[in-house]
Amino acid sequence: MVDNERAYWKSLAQRDDGTIPLPVVGSEPHDVSSPGARGVTRRDFLAAAGFTFGSVALTGCNRAPIEKAIPYLVQPEAIIPGRATFYASTCGACSAGCGLLVKNRDGRAIKLEGNPDHPHSLGGLCAIGQASVLGPYDSKRLQAPLLKNVSAKWDAVDGEIVARLEAIRRDGGTVRVLSGPVTSPTTRRMIDSFLGTFADARHVTYEALSTSAIYRAHERTHGARLLPRYAFDKADVIVAFDADFLGTWISPVVFAAGWSAGRDADAMRFSHHVQFEGRMSITGAKADQRIRIAPGELGLVMSHLASMLAHRAGRSFDSGSLATCPIDVHVLEGLADRLWHARGKSLVVCGSQDTDEQVLCNFINHLLGSYGATIDIQHAARRSDDDDAVQGLLQEMDSGTVDALFVHGVNPVYDLPNGADFAQALAKVETVVSFADHADETSRLARYNCPDHHYLESWGDADAGDGTISFRQPTMRPMFDTRSALESLSIWSGKKLSARAIVQETWKGRVSWDAAIHDGLATVRSEPISVSAFRSESVKAVRAAQPIPDGKLALALYPKASMLDGRSASNPWLQEMPDPISKVVWDNYACLSEPAATQLGMATGDIVRIDAGASKSIELPVLVQPGQHDQVIAIALGYGRAESARFADVGPEWLERKPVLGDNGLVGTSAAPLLTYRDDTLRLSGAIVSVTRTGRTHDLACTQDYHNIEVPEHLTVPGMNRRRPLIREVSIASYKKDGTLGHDAHGGHHDLGELWADDHKYEGHHWGMAIDLTACTGCSACVVACQVENNVPVVGRDEVRRKRIMHWMRIDRYYCDNNGDVDVAHQPMMCHHCDHAPCETVCPVLATVHSDEGLNQQTYNRCVGTRYCANNCPYKVRRFNWFEYAREDTLANMMLNPDVTVRSRGVMEKCSFCVQRIEQARVQAKQEGRPIADGDVVPACQQSCPARAIVFGDTNDPESAVSKMIARGRHYRLLEETNVRPSVGYLGLVRNREDDKDQTHHG
Amino acid sequence: MANKGIRNVTAVLLIGAVFSVATLAARLGAFHLPGNNQGYSPEQPIAFSHRLHAGELLIDCRYCHYGAETSRHAGIPASSVCMNCHTFVTDTLGSLRAEDERAKEEKRKPNRMVSVELQKLYDALGLDNEMKAKPDAVPSSIEWIQVHNLPDFVYFSHSAHITANVACDRCHGAVETMERVSQVEDLSMGWCVNCHRDVNSVGLGGQSVDASLDCGACHY
Repeated sequence: MVDNERAYWKSLAQRDDGTIPLPVVGSEPHDVSSPGARGVTRRDFLAAAGFTFGSVALTGCNRAPIEKAIPYLVQPEAIIPGRATFYASTCGACSAGCGLLVKNRDGRAIKLEGNPDHPHSLGGLCAIGQASVLGPYDSKRLQAPLLKNVSAKWDAVDGEIVARLEAIRRDGGTVRVLSGPVTSPTTRRMIDSFLGTFADARHVTYEALSTSAIYRAHERTHGARLLPRYAFDKADVIVAFDADFLGTWISPVVFAAGWSAGRDADAMRFSHHVQFEGRMSITGAKADQRIRIAPGELGLVMSHLASMLAHRAGRSFDSGSLATCPIDVHVLEGLADRLWHARGKSLVVCGSQDTDEQVLCNFINHLLGSYGATIDIQHAARRSDDDDAVQGLLQEMDSGTVDALFVHGVNPVYDLPNGADFAQALAKVETVVSFADHADETSRLARYNCPDHHYLESWGDADAGDGTISFRQPTMRPMFDTRSALESLSIWSGKKLSARAIVQETWKGRVSWDAAIHDGLATVRSEPISVSAFRSESVKAVRAAQPIPDGKLALALYPKASMLDGRSASNPWLQEMPDPISKVVWDNYACLSEPAATQLGMATGDIVRIDAGASKSIELPVLVQPGQHDQVIAIALGYGRAESARFADVGPEWLERKPVLGDNGLVGTSAAPLLTYRDDTLRLSGAIVSVTRTGRTHDLACTQDYHNIEVPEHLTVPGMNRRRPLIREVSIASYKKDGTLGHDAHGGHHDLGELWADDHKYEGHHWGMAIDLTACTGCSACVVACQVENNVPVVGRDEVRRKRIMHWMRIDRYYCDNNGDVDVAHQPMMCHHCDHAPCETVCPVLATVHSDEGLNQQTYNRCVGTRYCANNCPYKVRRFNWFEYAREDTLANMMLNPDVTVRSRGVMEKCSFCVQRIEQARVQAKQEGRPIADGDVVPACQQSCPARAIVFGDTNDPESAVSKMIARGRHYRLLEETNVRPSVGYLGLVRNREDDKDQTHHG
Repeated sequence: MANKGIRNVTAVLLIGAVFSVATLAARLGAFHLPGNNQGYSPEQPIAFSHRLHAGELLIDCRYCHYGAETSRHAGIPASSVCMNCHTFVTDTLGSLRAEDERAKEEKRKPNRMVSVELQKLYDALGLDNEMKAKPDAVPSSIEWIQVHNLPDFVYFSHSAHITANVACDRCHGAVETMERVSQVEDLSMGWCVNCHRDVNSVGLGGQSVDASLDCGACHY
């Protein structure tokens, strides 16, 4: 038993029984053990039919089909057919505004890459950003303006709206614009100037994933409503209270980049990250110390911490009558010491929607001197959201005093807990104009639908607050008869300007326009926001925790890394992206801890009714989630959107097909009715709910037990060498001591024996990859990036249930017991391009062979689909096309990558190390008369990774980045004992813990 | 009697068999495996002559197939490329001269002559005889029939081959002699691989080359 070995498991069944359950979904196509009594079996029939049709086809097709070559009439200057052009732009999938490079082929945007020159996102892009390239090719978009839900002409709609607005101007009526947080100075300017033409007009903003409390707290403590900018890279100690900053909170790409930069085990700088949370979040999974608390205990724990720090700072803090701390006081004292020790280099963030708790967070940061060091409030993001204002608007509408309402980028009827009230109040507004791109819950109730362009078709900008302005340019011609909201507003204001002119006008004389559009960026002088000195008087202790009555649970609603508030609900890639923690696709569910589920007598898949009183209840299947607080039930928001009804037909048509959608005809169930609105903020947590069984069950499609690398105990060959751990983990203390992963790291050079002669020298390049498990957060941006780049199909819930998910890249998630809690490890997994590849030796038709550069090549046109290779793959990374997985929306074929074959039914496929990018780099280098340089080939997964966990390159070049990664002491190969010589390696997982001895050892 | 009958039948069958074998042997030469389009020479929407343009007028291939050096696709020229010359050249020299003669005889200014084939180009662009856009015309691209057509699972890069000094005619044959382009080589994988093998041993244009034999060089 080596010191650093800990037992990792993927699912509860695996932990408890050592066996991996197989899904039972009807009979599988390979289940032909019983020929049946029908005389001719299906297999016989297919064989005969195949032979007959095959011979007819062979004799019939002598000539290839006629293909036409249709050139342009007039050649556009920038387009050379077959060559991609990249345009800098700004992502519009959420309000974070990360930098983009949009890959454009033949006039169509087909892939998004992070812009490496962007000072904040640094080239990373999240899964939602990656998937947003599908947006323009969505045939269910609103394709033209609607007048009372009937397709109309722009002139007709404009005519009516202008006439109504004229009347409102004349009568001094009331106009409201309702939008999400606006980061674009141009949009803000246009809305302001539009509203300026009315006597009574106001712009109301809210975000479904409310950050309202942060603005309010800073108003109280610093006299300015603002959302600070956090520098995770500068912090030595990071404490997060229920803030999933690596997954979904505010700007996860930027935060993940900073967080990862501050945790380099080899540079001997490694921050300490403590997470307080009730559910298991992506961020919690990466924390060095994770402390489970119920949402209602957050304020009390923060008060205790504030009191301890105030004591150290010699400041007064009224902690007289605080209730007992719900967690071990020594743990909290230790944390206070650590924070105090790292004054000016610590950062405390809080994701709560409670203003008092946010004020406490500000107070703690103030005591620690974080303001000005790790938190910048003078150059804060210029955006705002205000839940209070929405509720005010609702009352105004309800009382019938609003004459016109313009809704942009939000879906209040779905988002708000009182969405039904909002829908009723909408009926009392005479003129409702929606800019929505889909017929969503709110836009269906609007009299006028004036669909905005997709952001890839638009002009725009975003202000990060520190003087960095990101620009957005159209990277393709609008697919449909939509119109930029900027243009719509300008027309209704009486002056018709193009969106380009409008954006240009904002920055006239302040930026060099051509350079700014080329770079997608510009830097302007940014006036610091004037803030007052910290107002200590605003700080109030939260004296008690919210009590949870016996038999009830505290509700924690949360956004998923794929779905957020549901704005991407019509994106099949995101619906089929396994959740980084639960690995469930195509559903939301109620997460319960193991003890809670046992106590309630519930198991994964049981449908339960979650009742929050006041006739607010929803029904969802249970998922037993390790690492969750025992009194918390966690449910993802963003599901059950009206748009998701479109997925009824996703996946192949065949006899044993099962429904893809839930009983409600939608993907998942909306949890928005369980949101609460209290003390002027919209809260994701805080409701106390009771949970009752309905007796029904629902099969969740969960990929966690698929593609297992580990051989179950009862199937191992007796006497076979003990397997080395899949996840190698070491504490920073131990790693600093000897720079290795422990005794087994390099000591394992047993005589492995050679099956094959060592006659492949790989004299040119040898491609390889190294993945840093310390940096990987499991966010799955790489999974979606790979899917977009490589034309990987979506198969639908039913097929996923049959283990037929097609992702070339998956992220294995492992749990490991840690003193009653669990640690989580994520391991990205794709084809390892083994030099002694087991798949190659078993292919009867040589469809998979090795290249001179170490690539394991899969030749689709040669593959006959025996699937021997998949059976023999130790990493379980090969995927078989059971069907012709057509796209659910054929319009989306327009954005297929023309550099990658679309695989047909019956062939095997897998990660190719983005060979198309290698070949492209090779041709480019040859044209320029030079060898391929390090960094010329960047596969899609590496390009997208916000945490820079993946490095690809030539392992024959000792100076390449990947060679340097491999040279590090914590590099290891997975299943090294099998001697398949993989080209992919991992850098061991390092956690900032005192010593390995502190950990509990299992296994 | 019976024997004679059998002998007759045998003779007839033998003759038949010989005849069949002869016919089959004759057909065998023209037999192509599925997907082999060797000799394919479809009629194009405009009877464009490579012999005239590339052979007689010596226009470089890359003048029209502008992507060959930089892109995977050599590119079919846009109609605007044709118009670089055909704004002025509207008919064959013979036809223009004949019209000049006639005009001289009839003592009038020569009419603008437009050949039948070029008329198709102007129609596609929606131009009248004076090269002005016709107000009611809807321009539409010319739909050429692709002659050299590789399957979708093959990635062939023109630019890689041009960079490596592979001459166009090595794969396309003597296009400058073809009135109507036809596919000279069979473009089969064996043919590609043989060339890759050959050039690796003998080099190309006096330079050694590294033509990959990996499946992944073309199939991905």
